[in-house]
Amino acid sequence: MNQSSTNTNLARAFTIGAILAVVLLIVRYSQVRGSVVVLMAINAVLALSLYLPLMTGQLSLASPGFYAIGGYIAAIFSTKVFTNVGTPFPIPLIIVEMAISAAVCGFVAVLVGIPALRLRGIYLALATIALVEILRVAALNLEITGGAVGIFGIPQPFATIASLEYLYIAVPLLLFSMFFVARLEQSRVGRAFAALREDELAANAMGINPTYFKVLSFALGAMLAGVAGALAGHFLNTWNARQGTFDASILILAYVLVGGSRTFIGPVLGAALLSALPELLRDLGDISGIPAWLVSFFKDGRLIIFGMLIAAGAYFFPYGLITPEIFRRRKRELTPRALNKAAVQEGKSHL
Amino acid sequence: MVQLSLFQRRNLPRLVLIVLGGLLLVNLIASPPQRQQLLNGLAIGSVYAIFALGYTLIFSILRIINFAHGAVFTVGAYFTYFLVGSPVGFNGILAQQRLPFSMTFVVAMFVGAVGAGLLSILLEWLAFRPLRAKGADPLLTLVSSLGVAIAIVNIIQLLVGAEVYSYPANPFNPILEPVFGKIPPAVNFGTPDAPVPVRTIQIIIFVFSMIIVAILTWWINATKVGKALRAVSEDATTSDLLGINTDRLIMITFFVSGFVGAIAGTLVGLSVSIKGPYFGIDFGLKGLAVIVLGGLGDIPGAVVGGLLIGLAEAFVPSAQVAWKEAVAFAVLFIILLVRPQGLLGRVVVQKV
Repeated sequence: MNQSSTNTNLARAFTIGAILAVVLLIVRYSQVRGSVVVLMAINAVLALSLYLPLMTGQLSLASPGFYAIGGYIAAIFSTKVFTNVGTPFPIPLIIVEMAISAAVCGFVAVLVGIPALRLRGIYLALATIALVEILRVAALNLEITGGAVGIFGIPQPFATIASLEYLYIAVPLLLFSMFFVARLEQSRVGRAFAALREDELAANAMGINPTYFKVLSFALGAMLAGVAGALAGHFLNTWNARQGTFDASILILAYVLVGGSRTFIGPVLGAALLSALPELLRDLGDISGIPAWLVSFFKDGRLIIFGMLIAAGAYFFPYGLITPEIFRRRKRELTPRALNKAAVQEGKSHL
Repeated sequence: MVQLSLFQRRNLPRLVLIVLGGLLLVNLIASPPQRQQLLNGLAIGSVYAIFALGYTLIFSILRIINFAHGAVFTVGAYFTYFLVGSPVGFNGILAQQRLPFSMTFVVAMFVGAVGAGLLSILLEWLAFRPLRAKGADPLLTLVSSLGVAIAIVNIIQLLVGAEVYSYPANPFNPILEPVFGKIPPAVNFGTPDAPVPVRTIQIIIFVFSMIIVAILTWWINATKVGKALRAVSEDATTSDLLGINTDRLIMITFFVSGFVGAIAGTLVGLSVSIKGPYFGIDFGLKGLAVIVLGGLGDIPGAVVGGLLIGLAEAFVPSAQVAWKEAVAFAVLFIILLVRPQGLLGRVVVQKV
């Protein structure tokens, strides 16, 4: 067994471990704290919204900005426009709000994206950080967004706030987004995205319009973030300027990088694992027999552990938990080239 | 990439810009109502400048933005606070404790800055060097530095809580009074009839920052280490082949970056007090605007960029003061769209 297949097996083990962990987390928290499971699904959609521009090789940290816009749209429409709809708040109207959010975010993304996507790498990342911060300050100062206080009492479609029942909306949304991204990757557009990611100049020379496809991937990501925000607005019951900040940009980036940025499964899994992590650390503190200082560290120092995990993850899992290799068939090892390589190692080459 | 000599032909546009900027400043100084904003803007701008120098030094040799710089800035401010002998507040593990010794403010500031410089070296060992040794994607290094920043900020919060800390009032007076006599709390830059008061501390901050900028410029231009730094920033592989110890140089750069970052932290703390563990993160984001405005990796650019952002913020009308926080980011966004190489930067031709 050669080196690369050992690595692949190790990677497969990690993948299976990660999926098992997510399943166990879902089973555990769906009984104790349903809100965690819903949050895992919403964050997974957000991770996909960052993954979409990354498909064309563009690092955009703008997702929290569009997430915030989506949340404000849901909050404003449900508290000011759809006022006489009775309780509980009808789910179809939430879907209408999601559609409005998607349209608005897509429109803003095209406006911002056409000039901004001429930038590459770190410059684009910086431009999107600036966009998120400008939107945050705007949300703090505008009247319609409720200023620093935000918008309270967003109507609930279910009996209790932040209940597990939100999964009836969140899971279909996540499955739809995953299906959409999976289909996109197989399509002509998806292959154009991949070509741009690998080499923009070469792709351009082959007749792929870089601006068109980059703006498309950016706008699709923005729409997804807006939809997630609209759902999160109802789910969290209150929406304010703290929802779309630089911290959120980093968290979403961490979901994608820890999960793996080369397949759409990676971001989803990374988001599920990392969103459950703070709760998991809190629960670790409840295990009897561990010293008191460790308990208080698990409770108060969750973000310290979180930061260190992000730093360690960058070193130990540079390609994330899920890499494309694990989805490749083993058949590939029997190509003529591989056979020849094996023969060379044995000392008798075919060539 | 580290641009130094202004008086070269290719730097002509920068010279023109600087002269025009100077003329504008003189014009503004001439009208009293704007003089106050101008001087306050210069004071905060000079702190932005030295803070951004720390960013840009690391960027110029590693081509990586060190997102933990904001955390080092915060740590420096806290170090100074505790070294002058002030107690911890009511929250955190170390609540109500204080160091068994105390220092005068200026000594504490420098000792604190050395501490922050050492922390910065530790950062390089933990978050940067291992990834560099593996030849990892710069993006991963960025994420790693962010992870460390989150950890540092939360360690501070765990230890000393999230309270607002203020330094003792007028800490520079014991040194300045023997030389200049009695130091007033504010200096009048207008006429006695139409006063234009500016807080003395702002003037001290400006002068102090400019001294730091001058020392750094001298260090980069005139010392052997500075020369090595310029060589590495121009071409790391070749300078390594020519016998420059790159790893040692990177360590020194991290130390200097942490040192000036911590001084900036103390100066901001002096001006507006330490607003909790997260105050360096916000400041760090504004620092990004500064270095992009000046051109990434460009040292005089960082100084000019810092002063310009400080001035832009100072001239926000008081009716719209809540929008002040967005100014730096609006500038960042516009500059990226109009002139991504920065105000003074060179265009980098993309090679196939």
